[in-house]
Amino acid sequence: MTTSVAAPEARRVRRYHLALLGVALLILLLSLARVVADAPELTSSGTFGAALLLAVPIALAGLGGLWSERAGVVNIGLEGMMVLGTWCAGWAGYQWGAAAALVAGLLGGALGGLIHAVATVTFGVDHIISGVAINLLGPGITRFLSEVLYAQGTAAADKGAGITSSPGLASQAPSVSLPLLSDGPDLLGKLEATHWFLLSDVAGVLRGLTHDVNVLVILAVALIPLTFFILWRTTFGLRLRSCGENPWAAESLGVNVYLTKYIATIISGALAGLGGVFLVFVTTKYVEGQTAGRGFIGLAAMIFGNWRPGGLAVGASLFGYADGLQLRSSHAVTGLLLFGAILLLIYTGAQVRKALAVNGPGVRQYTAAAVAALAAVILLWLWVTVDKLPNEFVFITPHVLTLLVLSAASQSLRMPKADGVRYRRGEQH
Amino acid sequence: MLRRRFGKMAVTTVAGAMLMAAAACGGSGGDEGTTANSASGASEAPKASGLKVGLAFDVGGRGDKSFNDSAYAGLERAKTDLGAEIKDLSPAADGSNRGELLRQLAEAGYNPIIGVGFAYGEDIKKTAAEYPDIQFAVVDSASNGPNVTGLLFAEEQGSYLAGVAAADKSKTGHLGFVGGVENDLIKKFQAGFEAGAKSVKSDIKIDVKYLTPDGDFSGFKAPDKGKIAAEKMYQDGADIVYHASGDSGLGVFQAAAAAGKQAIGVDSDQYETVKEADLKKVIMTSMIKRVDVGVFEFIKAFKDGTAKGGSDNVYDLKVDGVGLSTSGGFIDDITAKVDEAKKKIVDGSVTVPAKP
Repeated sequence: MTTSVAAPEARRVRRYHLALLGVALLILLLSLARVVADAPELTSSGTFGAALLLAVPIALAGLGGLWSERAGVVNIGLEGMMVLGTWCAGWAGYQWGAAAALVAGLLGGALGGLIHAVATVTFGVDHIISGVAINLLGPGITRFLSEVLYAQGTAAADKGAGITSSPGLASQAPSVSLPLLSDGPDLLGKLEATHWFLLSDVAGVLRGLTHDVNVLVILAVALIPLTFFILWRTTFGLRLRSCGENPWAAESLGVNVYLTKYIATIISGALAGLGGVFLVFVTTKYVEGQTAGRGFIGLAAMIFGNWRPGGLAVGASLFGYADGLQLRSSHAVTGLLLFGAILLLIYTGAQVRKALAVNGPGVRQYTAAAVAALAAVILLWLWVTVDKLPNEFVFITPHVLTLLVLSAASQSLRMPKADGVRYRRGEQH
Repeated sequence: MLRRRFGKMAVTTVAGAMLMAAAACGGSGGDEGTTANSASGASEAPKASGLKVGLAFDVGGRGDKSFNDSAYAGLERAKTDLGAEIKDLSPAADGSNRGELLRQLAEAGYNPIIGVGFAYGEDIKKTAAEYPDIQFAVVDSASNGPNVTGLLFAEEQGSYLAGVAAADKSKTGHLGFVGGVENDLIKKFQAGFEAGAKSVKSDIKIDVKYLTPDGDFSGFKAPDKGKIAAEKMYQDGADIVYHASGDSGLGVFQAAAAAGKQAIGVDSDQYETVKEADLKKVIMTSMIKRVDVGVFEFIKAFKDGTAKGGSDNVYDLKVDGVGLSTSGGFIDDITAKVDEAKKKIVDGSVTVPAKP
């Protein structure tokens, strides 16, 4: 009995330490690549600041997807809900300021979630169809509202609104920095500027993540562990997940499946809307089309993150990092090739060691090692020969990188068992 | 049994209803503009001239304070000066129904019909072939049919002046250029800007970044990305960044304001159209494209019977189709230098490249 309790406990500790070690190793390798490839952007505070800016809306959309899919409702309408969030935030924000924008954006997204819930939970519409409808509905409704409320001659138009954009927010959301370290004396910034191996890199990363951070970023980052806690550590979370795994069993145990699914889907919409609010905060106004498919990217990050908060956070950060990097410096993207080569070499080494350690090395290990070694050589060769990557490659870096890493990392995905299944009360199958 | 059947019916009904509602809403993007505008235009009794001008906007539609509004200004002038009956339509947010709008206008008897934006190129070609008796014009795209007139602007010449002004004003000898989408049209801006800056200072450093690749038009609507790209340029030492990125330019201005540096606007006089006071003061000048002049001149030529189609009208520095704005007074001290550069282009002693 004691061993069976201790074993998972020990494993959890090991996993936690492993994650920390992994992050430390990644930073070490990044700084190595930074020095060798002479690409300071790889670990500069600017890149990490931009990465955070770009990752947050994706992570929020992904979290939205997590909430609904864990309750068994497939939500591809995240993009539409996000659009509703941006429009509502822009509309309320130009009149009453940032706090109102936050509330309105949440409500706008939640409204999208509610529509999705009514369609899928109450009427049992196919989840994909309803999601697609919301993705059409979001931009359609917002364009309609813009044409009515922001038309020429209205009060809003005098303040700078147009059919495709709202006036600027009446007040901005506050940004905060770590005192002393990343603001004022800016100790981290000074350390970063010295360009010492490792030390400056760590300083750059930390400064990027703590300098001039919007309060909504802090809220968004806090929402990830909070979501984990609610869904995996509370009774409500257990019930919610049971609706996604086996609603009939949940029903037999007295869970109100309809209500739970409603709550989950509305929260899902609100989170997507929050992602929209963040976009509005960054640009200080609503601009039509500013979501640019982030709802879908968030959904993909969530799926490749194996329907787990940690996984989706990694996916979103990776995408944000690569996107920030390519926007800031195409040169640094070539440095990323070197970084990839080093990573693959380490992987090869690990595979070979594993193959030698077990009795009678498996063919699989050798193949994996060989493929990884080959890829490493190709990347190294590319890094040495390619002086400047063609822009076409630079543009797709975030997509390719995220896809490669996540598909390599998530070999065995397991979606909630009753995800997307139509549930009717009392209709035991 | 009955329950189940009811359930199925409900499913189909609701799904159908939602899709139809969505479709209706998507379409209403265009229709709404139509009804609102026709109230002022079409419902009035047709004036004596009998000139009926239709205009289809680019994505963004009327009220974008830039490109489309400029085209509309030309249309409105045609209404007041030439007594034309006018009608304008805006496409859906993704621009998928451009061809439809043109056909709507053609069916309603509008002649001539103007498409605003290079994206109309293909749609105009098709529609013009279907309605050979109607004269078409397309802004920013070359003529591709016997009854199509291309209204082209020499963006590279205007950008050349912007480059001259930026290089004269730069203290660090380092400039930046943020392009929205990496296509041939935006590359003209880059080419002109670089040539102009180098004519003043041959060793000047110019950072160039495009936000999205060709075909992905989200680069014109991504202020956050514009901000990140410009931020990096300012951090590296650039003190003036020129943007040709539509709505994304807002992010460039924000980055300039945060860094205490300057930026150059595009298409319209952005010092006038941007409302935020802190962003206004970073807009040193704007490269103006007189789409209104192009549109009006075309309508006038049509009325006079000289618009035959099959050729391009190029609006360059010679006819003031492009130029620099001076509002804010930031470039008043170098007007002489800008005018000199302009003179050289007009008299042909300087040829501005259209490709970087």
